[in-house]
Amino acid sequence: MELTAGNLLELFLYSASMWWVIIPAVFIGIIMGAIPGFAAHNTIIMLLPLTLAFEADIALTFMVALYCASHLGGGVPAILLNIPGTGGAAATTLDGYPMSRKGLASRALALSFVASILAGLITSALTLFVLPYLSQVGFYIRSVEMVVVMLFGLALIAAIAAQDMIKGLIAGAFGLMLGAMGADHIYATPRGTFGILELFDGIPLVPALIGLFAISEALIMLEEKSIAAGHSKSVTPSWREALHNIGDAFKHWFLIIWTSVLGLVIGVMPGAGASIAAFVAYQQARVFSKTPEKFGTGHEQGVVAPEAANNGVTTGTLVPLLAIGIPGGSTAAVMMIVLQFHGVPFGPRLFMQNPMLAYGVIMSMFVAYIFMLITLFPLTRYLSRITIVANYYMAPTIVAFTLVGAFVPRSFIADLTIAVGFGLIGYVARKTGYHVAAILIGVILGPLLERSFLLSMRISGGDPMIFFSSNIGNVLWVLLFAMLLASPVLKLLKKRRSKGDIY
Amino acid sequence: MSEENKPARKRVGADLLIPVVGTLYAGYYVYSVWDFPPEAQRSGFFLAALLVGLCVILFLRTALLHFAGRAEWEFSSLLGPREGRMGRIGFVALIFAYLLVVRHAGFTLTTFAFLFAGSLLGGIGSLRKAAIFAFVTAISGWLFFIVILGTRFPRGPFENLVTMVVATWN
Repeated sequence: MELTAGNLLELFLYSASMWWVIIPAVFIGIIMGAIPGFAAHNTIIMLLPLTLAFEADIALTFMVALYCASHLGGGVPAILLNIPGTGGAAATTLDGYPMSRKGLASRALALSFVASILAGLITSALTLFVLPYLSQVGFYIRSVEMVVVMLFGLALIAAIAAQDMIKGLIAGAFGLMLGAMGADHIYATPRGTFGILELFDGIPLVPALIGLFAISEALIMLEEKSIAAGHSKSVTPSWREALHNIGDAFKHWFLIIWTSVLGLVIGVMPGAGASIAAFVAYQQARVFSKTPEKFGTGHEQGVVAPEAANNGVTTGTLVPLLAIGIPGGSTAAVMMIVLQFHGVPFGPRLFMQNPMLAYGVIMSMFVAYIFMLITLFPLTRYLSRITIVANYYMAPTIVAFTLVGAFVPRSFIADLTIAVGFGLIGYVARKTGYHVAAILIGVILGPLLERSFLLSMRISGGDPMIFFSSNIGNVLWVLLFAMLLASPVLKLLKKRRSKGDIY
Repeated sequence: MSEENKPARKRVGADLLIPVVGTLYAGYYVYSVWDFPPEAQRSGFFLAALLVGLCVILFLRTALLHFAGRAEWEFSSLLGPREGRMGRIGFVALIFAYLLVVRHAGFTLTTFAFLFAGSLLGGIGSLRKAAIFAFVTAISGWLFFIVILGTRFPRGPFENLVTMVVATWN
């Protein structure tokens, strides 16, 4: 589809006509984003019965609006209570909370909201124009390249998201192994299913992600009595201050533009995510600041940079999903599962069969940010009260409502047990430093990797050298090994350097 | 070397659980495809080799740490802080009870019982509060998911009773 001004206008009007989905999604996203541990993917998982019941385009608009809003909501408790609502808001605490302690909470909130919304608008507009070129990438990727791309994406997630690279790689490989469960692609004979009939079609993705993210999170939540007990007095900034400070926040327009583009670029890389982007943006803002010594003491730029970057990421993580069918992060993975349920294809097929849906994703994001601009500011005063909700209410509610969500797609009681099984795996993984996102993406990629692997082997007549027969594939192999070797080599160099300092 | 200059001991043990389970599963997976034609075995062997290879690296790293005296073996971190541990174990048992009961008691009653017991185990501290919270949330869930969205959640005495009562109105 040619992206003309007429098409853009049509897309914009169509997305805007979804206001009845976007506005509730924005409110839900902000409220849930403000609750620590409740990232967008957790909320989407909790609302799976709703999204699965909607039409594909409505479900997508709902998820996209909720996703953007939750990133914005994550900054609220980070600023007011020093508790980041999402991982992407962790860097916001560095200067946001000191601002609150100085009595500038309302100003910090205004900075956060303006930076987030402007960043979202800039990056979604930019992506709309770049996406047609990115979508062509899929045409150059065949089964051989696909195997390397998937291994590369998984290794990247393992390398960046996990603290210990070998544990990240094990999590990804474990996910791949679990994803390869079920009937084989050639003879349709079950493998690794323990004789359980419900696993013959492979691991059901919805119960797997409910277990890995929601149930394991609920189990961990119970280790703390409440999220923000004792902070209730500091959570309500004044109306007047909030509105007055919004205008001042626009003065940081240049910082917002370049940190949001930085977030977009980092978001395009599978697994990099908002938390990494926010810290990179914070660091970059400090490096290029005229007053770097003020960072960490309640500096406005220290709030603007991470908030703009983590909202730039929201657009970026959807790019690999739309262009080549590989989710760029946890929320993109959840969206992929919901859209697969609706029979929506990804990669070049999506752009050929349903281009309006592909571009509509990004346009929905753009429109959601406009709605946020209109609806959000008046609410700043009351948003942070949600952080006072006690965990003894939250944890049982999460488990009860997500478990039945696992039942919805296939109506198998066994799927509840599978969700709990994955919940325990997720709990152990979180407790022992294995990244659950790497396991989930492994589970999703397992069958896809296997299909591409078998196809390549069939084409080559069983010769494994086919995986080194393409230029794109070879470049990716080199990058993959360079990335795997870079971390231990850098560690070794750092160790030697520190030893040198001692002697 | 003084105590301060000694390299920090790394906590190991609990982090071997996932690699051990992964290795066992990879072994079982290979066993399950053992009689397949070679064409169908390849992908399974490839994935199993990848997982086992990575796990072996972690096992070797742990062994090296152990023999260098830098490993501190522990498994208790899996259960979280001591405070409230029994409550959390009870909560996990409650989840398993949910799985057993939901097919017979249906969504609404099971959710009510689960939320009531779960909030008490979580530390709500008041039977009245727990009952009100469980009642309001379970009924809201029933209204939203079953009545409004029409999702096919497991049905039990409550859902059947409501259906029967509604049927008598027509």
